[in-house]
This record gives sequence, structure tokens and C-alpha cells, in this order.
Amino acid sequence: ARPVGRMEPPAVPAATFERRVVRSGAEHHYLRVRLELPDGGARPSVAQFKQLVVSALRELHGEVGAALPVDVLTYEEKSLSAILRVISSGLVKLWSALTLLGFYQNRRCAFRVLQTSPFLLALSGNSRELVLD
Amino acid sequence: EAALSRRYVLCEVVSEDPRCRQCIEDRAVGLAVRDAIARVHGDYGLACCSISFTVKYLNAYTGTVLLRCRKDFYRLLCSALPFVRQLESRNQRYPCSLHTLHVGGTIRTCQKFLIQYNRRQLLMLLQNCTNEEERRCIQKSLLSCSLTEEQSPSGDEEDDDGIE
Repeated sequence: ARPVGRMEPPAVPAATFERRVVRSGAEHHYLRVRLELPDGGARPSVAQFKQLVVSALRELHGEVGAALPVDVLTYEEKSLSAILRVISSGLVKLWSALTLLGFYQNRRCAFRVLQTSPFLLALSGNSRELVLD
Repeated sequence: EAALSRRYVLCEVVSEDPRCRQCIEDRAVGLAVRDAIARVHGDYGLACCSISFTVKYLNAYTGTVLLRCRKDFYRLLCSALPFVRQLESRNQRYPCSLHTLHVGGTIRTCQKFLIQYNRRQLLMLLQNCTNEEERRCIQKSLLSCSLTEEQSPSGDEEDDDGIE
């Protein structure tokens, strides 16, 4: 028996589906990048690669940019490709710094951003490299 | 069509070396500030703040400097001011620092603030006088100060003698 005199909310019909929109987004963004060094010289080690990324940030965005928390999660010296992680508010600074980097130790170079996503798992598959047979 | 908004940053050059005053000129201060922005915010920050950047007014006796920049980038400018370490002019460099006093949207608001600030500074100087000679000097200048109503819109700030 329901207590009398208590305000009752109107009956809500059972939801058939629920949609959640998250505006705050993820904390980090992940980028899969490849460094192109057209001259066949010595390849940078992982520490030199990180140093290159930080120096690119320092050139374009100064000490504030160089202090951005950027992590190199994986690095393949053979293909010069890496997965970088950056705090979401710093994605624009990092991406613009990588785009405008032109030289590594006085050698011409270029960064190609292959994939980017707020979820690391999404970088495991790349539909651009999908081979349809 | 949006109005060209600017911000005026009023700051004070503080230095332990009294010879630093001779370096307080618009070119030296402008270069020092732009160099600090380049170090702290890089090429992007330097380019942003350089749009309509200028040293609008400075007073070597009191060490007051008025800088102007675009409204959208005044935060880049203000955050770089603590990183100014020295002023260089005619191959002489002296260590100093910039203290931000006020940020305003027009020169007039900065001028109003500066007048009030200088009044308060004079009173403080009077209180902190160490000997009678200085006290009499300051009292004389305070009493001889007068504010004259000027017709022109850009009035000079109120007279205060350069008290060294």
C-alpha cells in the first residue's frame, strides 16, 4: 500500500535505448606518427626521438610548449614510427609543432601523422591500410 | 567589423642597480619583452603578441612602462613579463625585473590608475624617509604638485618630480 499524501513522480516508461553525450572528452590523445628522413643517414634512438619532439615544441611554443607532458609509448627505429600520447589540451600545440618541424641535426625531415584518436585501442586498426581481396 | 580591441599593460621596472635607469628606453624595453615572449611562448607566441605591439609610454624616473598588445593575446604577454631578466642598451646590460601594475582596455584607465598609484607611492616614500633632508624634499614636492585641467584629450600625468 502506498503512503498517502506524498508527491509521486509521474510513471516513466522503460527506456528502449539510452544515449550519453560526453562533452569533457578523454584526458589524453594518442597520435601514431612517422618520421621521414629521406637521406639514408643514422636513425635517431628513442631518446633522440623524444628530444626531437620536445625541441619542436620548444621552437614553436617556447618553454611552455616544451613543458607539455608528451610520452613516447612505442617507437620502432627501423620504420621510424611511434605512438605519442599527449594531454588533450595540448593536442593542437603538439600537432602544429610536429607539422612545422623541418630539420633534424641539419638533415631535412618531416613528420607524418598517420592516425589520431582519444582512445589508444582505436590506433590498432587502420582502415586506410585495409587490403580488400 | 569587430572593433580592434587592445589591452594596455602598465608595469614598473624594478632594479637594484641604479644605472639600470639609463637603459629604460622604448627600444631596449620592447626588445627585452619580445625576447622574453619568444623564450616562453616560442615563435607562435612571439608572432601573436607582435601584432600591434608597442611601448606606448615610459618614464625613466619612475620606471613606469605602458605596453600595448591585441586583446586576444594579452595573457601571453602578461605571463611572459616575469621572465624579463635584464635590459640592454648601448652595449650595457643591467639586471632588472618587471612588475605588472595594471591591465586596462584604454590608455585613459591606465592613466587614472597610474595617478592614484603614484599618489600612494609618494605617501609611502614620505613615511619611509630615513632622514630629515629627504623628508623636507618630498614634502616640498608634494605641496608643489597641482593638477591642471587640460583641454586636450591626451592629458599628461600629474606632475611629480623625479625623486631619486
